[in-house]
Amino acid sequence: MSNAGLAQFQQVFVEESLEGLDTMESSLLALDEGGDGELVHTIFRAAHSIKGGAATFGFPEMASFTHEAESLLDEVRGGKRAIDKPIVELLLRSVDCLRGMFDRAKAGEPLNDAVSDGVRGELAAMMGRAAPAEAGPARRGSDQADGWIIRFQPHAGMLAGGNDPLRLIRELAAMGELAVEADLSRLPSLDKLDPSECHLGWTIELKAAVKREDIAAVFDWVEDECDLAIEPRPSAVVTPAAPAPANITEAATARGSREASPESSSVRVAIDKIDSMINLVGELVITQAMLDTFREEFDPAKLPLLQQGLTQLARHARELQESVMGIRMLPIASVFNRFPRLVRDLSQKLGKQVKLDLHGEQTELDKTVLEKIGDPMVHLVRNAIDHGLEMPDKRRAAGKHETGTLKLDAYHRGGNIVVEVSDDGAGLNREAIVGKAIERGLIRSGEGLSDEAVGELIFQPGFSTAAVTTDLSGRGVGMDVVRRNVSDLGGTVTIRSKPGQGSVFTITLPLTLAIIDGLTAAVGEERYIVPLISIIESVQLKPDSLKTVAGGGELFRFRGEYLPVLRLHELFGCVGAKRAIEDGLIIVVEGDGARVGLFVDGLVGQQQAVVKSLEANYRRVQGVSGATILADGSVALIADIGGLVRLHGQRKAA
Amino acid sequence: MGSKRGRNEKAVEIGLPADCRMAAQTALLAELLGALDAPATQIDGSAVERVDTAALQLLTLFRREALSRGCAVSWRDASGTLCEAADTLGLVKALDLPAAVPA
Repeated sequence: MSNAGLAQFQQVFVEESLEGLDTMESSLLALDEGGDGELVHTIFRAAHSIKGGAATFGFPEMASFTHEAESLLDEVRGGKRAIDKPIVELLLRSVDCLRGMFDRAKAGEPLNDAVSDGVRGELAAMMGRAAPAEAGPARRGSDQADGWIIRFQPHAGMLAGGNDPLRLIRELAAMGELAVEADLSRLPSLDKLDPSECHLGWTIELKAAVKREDIAAVFDWVEDECDLAIEPRPSAVVTPAAPAPANITEAATARGSREASPESSSVRVAIDKIDSMINLVGELVITQAMLDTFREEFDPAKLPLLQQGLTQLARHARELQESVMGIRMLPIASVFNRFPRLVRDLSQKLGKQVKLDLHGEQTELDKTVLEKIGDPMVHLVRNAIDHGLEMPDKRRAAGKHETGTLKLDAYHRGGNIVVEVSDDGAGLNREAIVGKAIERGLIRSGEGLSDEAVGELIFQPGFSTAAVTTDLSGRGVGMDVVRRNVSDLGGTVTIRSKPGQGSVFTITLPLTLAIIDGLTAAVGEERYIVPLISIIESVQLKPDSLKTVAGGGELFRFRGEYLPVLRLHELFGCVGAKRAIEDGLIIVVEGDGARVGLFVDGLVGQQQAVVKSLEANYRRVQGVSGATILADGSVALIADIGGLVRLHGQRKAA
Repeated sequence: MGSKRGRNEKAVEIGLPADCRMAAQTALLAELLGALDAPATQIDGSAVERVDTAALQLLTLFRREALSRGCAVSWRDASGTLCEAADTLGLVKALDLPAAVPA
């Protein structure tokens, strides 16, 4: 098998194994809460698959680690051992270790670390024996010999799986001279033989100085379907000394080649989504065939038919587009599923009682958004447990149930996805926040500040420092980072809080990053797309409404506040643009928590823009989030409002 | 190779197919089971172009069982492919096939 081919399968293995680990974790958590015995089987199956895959794809450390966990599970499954909290705890930590191993495998680092060795020892200790020596050296023994004895005993089902020992032994024969001895002792009687089962075994002597891993590679695909032992020929061991360093170098080389392979991500698509797409393409072809009839000769009497055809074409194209976009849409459950564990661990650590309520797990989100929304959500959930929910005695004193509720909810609203993280804790501590904000020079006094404005304070960059987490009983841990992450995804995050009743963080995200709704604005010869989500309003200014400030900045008054004017033609160097403020238009936009006015020549219209990455096709340009192709075939850049605001800030500072 | 015992029944001759792999085994097994009652069986392996472990396992088992019943099993002919495969799997002796001739 070529390296590239194997890498492709390896990636599928990693993806499936990570899913398996998620299953193990959620089943363990369910078991911890008194779930039924079937869960043990589910956990066992997941562990078994990971073990098999790890062995096949050249992660012996992972295979042997999982083997320990699997053995423990096997005892539980067989009723030899009752499942209890320490076992669940240990298995949960094993899941963490395996996740760590996958991360390290991706990064090309050694798979084992102190933690995994420790957990492995604990697993073995729980089974009542000492931890076996590390898989690599122990199983491998010496890696150099001028001859090998290979004991190969296929499992009965190996032939049915399409793996023929004949082919494997032929491969060995290609390495050097073989002496093959077949073991016929396990053959059944002829009338009891299922011809698709293998009952033969072999002891093969390979008289060639090859590496052990080359021999093992022959059996890569069947490692799970046979018992295999590769030992140096008794008289043929060359250097049994220092096997470990040899292994490390070898492993490092193997990892090096893995690392070099390009990483691409994939997405699994439900078959009904594909079916619906095929169906739509069929409709499209029919419509196209119908329209084709007009090509030959056009009879004006048929105009309504043509119009109808074009309408159909537009509808099918739109549906197909939605359907294709839908491929990237995955349920948010994959993000939500990591929280039961987090909540359990954190609440135990803090001595709080927390009930996690999940809603709308099936709400679908773009894969990219999904991958990036996890971290901000973890932040919010941590904060809610750490700072929002009170200790049981405090809750009791406040007349609330001892167990606090943390609710995660996801749903569609308009063209957006809304994700809410809410708790029934103490809510924001207004006094503490205002006090801290005054101390940090963010505001002068808290008088007249609405609750909303106070809530906004915690998103200010200057507000969150490590000290805040201990000094302040309210929230405020890196909330500016949360907001920035969400706004990078084209979304917004807001907070509603009621003292004594809890807080609700609302994250609003676009359905997809691949298409945005925007206004097309003209600047000289160029067209720019301004995302609709950031636009507040557009206004035309009179010449005298523009104030110039020291340093060359321009301000205009908008609803009681002064906003800076960003002239797009200056920022992007467009020729032939309007310069007089009264000739053009100001689009008031909000990004990165600040409002600015973008000065453009005029608005052309509203449109859905299919986003093409500028970074992939050219390079990253500050203030531009991508490009799109207009109806006339020309390219329009999509304004990145947050980036423009930052760009403006830099210019001001310069 | 064992000789015919000269019982009343005639010796059975079984021809192996060109593609003598797993898919052909069920039919072959039935044929071989039938042949167990015959005093002698002659197998013709001259046509075999493709063969796998399943086939050789079946033939090995048949020969062992037939011999234990006192029936003779002999080869009328065997293709190079068949001999090579038996040699690779270390079954030449068990099948009483001529050693493989390198192709």
